[in-house]
Amino acid sequence: MHPIFKYRRRLLLYLGVWVVFGLLLTVVFVFGGNAPVAWSLEFAVPVAIVLGLQSLSFWYVVQAMPPEDTPVPRLVVTWAIAGLVSLIVWIAIASAWAMWLLPEGEVYPESAAGLLPLLVFAGAIGMSLAVLGHYLAGAFQRSRNAERRALELQVLAREAELKSLRAQLDPHFLFNSLNSVAALIGNDTQAARQMCFLMATFFRKSLTLARQQAIPLAEEVSLAETFLAIERVRFGDRLRASFDIADDVKEVAVPPLMLQPLVENAVHHGVAHMLEGGEVCVQARRREGFLELIVANPCDPDRPPSRSTGVGLVNVRSRVETLCGHRASVDVDAGETAFRVSILLPAVSSHATS
Amino acid sequence: MRVLIVDDETLARSILAEHLNKLPEIEIVGQAANGFEAVKLAEELNPDLMFLDIQMPKLSGFEVLELLGERAPAVIFSTAFDEYALRAFEVHAVDYLLKPVEPPRLAAAVERAAERLRNKTPAPSPEQLSASARPPGRALERILIRHEGRVHVLPLERIDFIEAQDDYLSFAAAGKRLRKQQTMSELETQLDPTRFVRIHRSFILNVERLARIDLYGKDSWLAILSDGTKLPMSRTGHTKLKELIG
Repeated sequence: MHPIFKYRRRLLLYLGVWVVFGLLLTVVFVFGGNAPVAWSLEFAVPVAIVLGLQSLSFWYVVQAMPPEDTPVPRLVVTWAIAGLVSLIVWIAIASAWAMWLLPEGEVYPESAAGLLPLLVFAGAIGMSLAVLGHYLAGAFQRSRNAERRALELQVLAREAELKSLRAQLDPHFLFNSLNSVAALIGNDTQAARQMCFLMATFFRKSLTLARQQAIPLAEEVSLAETFLAIERVRFGDRLRASFDIADDVKEVAVPPLMLQPLVENAVHHGVAHMLEGGEVCVQARRREGFLELIVANPCDPDRPPSRSTGVGLVNVRSRVETLCGHRASVDVDAGETAFRVSILLPAVSSHATS
Repeated sequence: MRVLIVDDETLARSILAEHLNKLPEIEIVGQAANGFEAVKLAEELNPDLMFLDIQMPKLSGFEVLELLGERAPAVIFSTAFDEYALRAFEVHAVDYLLKPVEPPRLAAAVERAAERLRNKTPAPSPEQLSASARPPGRALERILIRHEGRVHVLPLERIDFIEAQDDYLSFAAAGKRLRKQQTMSELETQLDPTRFVRIHRSFILNVERLARIDLYGKDSWLAILSDGTKLPMSRTGHTKLKELIG
């Protein structure tokens, strides 16, 4: 439907403009064609409104032929035809209206025929203005839409950045780690120092990696190892980890902070809920031009539903997709007692992308 | 004062024990590494005070308290970070500690617990506490039941229906029955009203199990469950159920 019908005020304003056009036409008829004032008014104003309503159909032509990607000859021909057809229809309606206004048994004087060229001329001008108006409104609308889309994109990007920052600064992780340090200082200063180094390394790495577009898988693995080393100080023997990274994928480019949130989920939503603990397995290998990355962990079937269900996972998925499009895939296999995420990325060397 | 420490992290237990040992009149009688152990030790050792971590495998600190019920000692919660839990403490004035704990703050908490023990101030009910520790608008997700000396964690989706029997509620799940001391109206407010409907004074139904509704007499109906069980339904229960499933 024509957008003007969505707002009553716009429609009234539009018709108001055509009433003014009708009044102008009246003036032209009275002074240029020597027509009686009352008749001119009765004839011209309704006819002008009809022209206005008819011109609304131009919107569909504008939609079908956006000015920026339609060849000029086609534009000219189409508008010439559309204008001509519309003008003929309008003249026919106007003539019928003129006949209807004529009292029974009377005829128009011969001089009235002189009004026809005036009518055609006014109609052509009115329609041209209407077409121009439609193009202007269309351009305005498009620029507003483009502005809104740009703003939306900006907000989305900001949101993603904020989310990844929050992920790095998981309060449980931070405060529990500090608590471990406080505990170790009392009876094992060497281990306390080691924990401080690990934490410094983890925060430094995640801050520098987050700023980059893509990093070699080996760096991401090293970040995940640091994370697990810190968590192992807290969880002790309950947390076990195994890494199986093939040599030929270590230099493959991956989005930064892709593996770390998965390992974090494996610990906090998996192993942490198990009395006896469990093993987080990270596996990476090349498969037919793709990098296959798998993070697997056991989980407790009775665990309470997590509060942050899949936020980290959604974030990883959207970032993998923006980087590689639909050539990449993220599969989640959530079983009763085991959880597994596998990611398939086109294996591009990180040296090639940088 | 006899103290029990509950935390799933060894280091967290050790630093708490270290600080507590410096305080006068404190005797650490036991340490538990998870919720099950905590319940067992609390009943065996009968401590005066329990330091209780909130996030632990299997049973959370709140659930430990719920299981102990009236036998629970005075409790000081400890947590690294939990916005909802913090609000629960504030509302119910139970003391809590944020890890890492500063020794003066710990001493103050112990002093407050001693005060409470001397005056025998009643603690807020465990159900109340765990209900307000749930995020707003979030219904109960699982039921804790002690049955023949064992703790059962029953996820809500496994429950077929709940029947009131005297002072007890009987939870029917996959042909088995588990009993818990709780009132119908209390449980009803904790459940998600779009999944569980009180169809009768003595019955709450898991809507997913409903197979059909039969007219039984004037103003009374029977709910037929997918396993063939028949439950009576009152007029108000019928109206509620109709509203829900349309």
